[in-house]
Amino acid sequence: MNAKKATRKALLWGALFTLNMMLITLAHIFDLIEQPVPLILMAINFVLLVPMVRAARGAQEVKGAMSPALRNYNRRVLITMTLYMVAMIGGGNLYHRIEEGSPLLWLLAIAPLLPLMGMIWTMYRYYVEETDEYLRYRAVTGSLVGLMLVLVVGTVWGFLEMYGLVPHIWNWWVFPVWAIGLAIGTCWPRGDRLEAEG
Amino acid sequence: MKNRLKVLRAERDWSQQDLAERVGVSRQSVNAIETGKYDPSLPLAFTIADVFGMAIEEIFLRE
Repeated sequence: MNAKKATRKALLWGALFTLNMMLITLAHIFDLIEQPVPLILMAINFVLLVPMVRAARGAQEVKGAMSPALRNYNRRVLITMTLYMVAMIGGGNLYHRIEEGSPLLWLLAIAPLLPLMGMIWTMYRYYVEETDEYLRYRAVTGSLVGLMLVLVVGTVWGFLEMYGLVPHIWNWWVFPVWAIGLAIGTCWPRGDRLEAEG
Repeated sequence: MKNRLKVLRAERDWSQQDLAERVGVSRQSVNAIETGKYDPSLPLAFTIADVFGMAIEEIFLRE
């Protein structure tokens, strides 16, 4: 498989994930589905990130953009993501069976938080462990694009919400939106002519 | 910043992968530097110069 094909495969999985997230969010915002359905659907949608990460890893190998730090990062992301999915699906299913105010709700709330914190730690470790300055530069650029996306979406939504034009949404949207920005920023073609290897 | 990496590699019959392994970076990094998409840091430029046994200014040129 050539570099372009491999990258396209990873981007397609990512686009499918993003599209699903948007559809679920819209369906929830416009009251087409009630909690915990959107929560469970979102958690199931995260399964798509597994083939996406695997395809991205394949693309990185083909492009010669792989490093030991990146291998560690990919492995840790897959582990934390799997734990996150389990916690989210489990939480979504148990939420309505537990009495309001029960201390068990704390457990349900914290369960997905731990792998999420693990993902943040994974990113931090990647920036520390990566010795290839160009790959680190790409990752930092990606993370800045993620930050820009969060700032734009957050600010726009905040003002629309203030005037009652859009409903309130839970603040944990920042993580998936940042991750989408990170993926866009990291994969954005910089005109690397990798086929011109010679 | 311009560079003579492609010519220097060709003279030694090295692929980008060969140079990447000698320098200790990914092939994509070599490609990005060679095609002028990314300017290496001073330490990396010194490493590249050492690998070719040349001075930095013999490899990297001002625009």
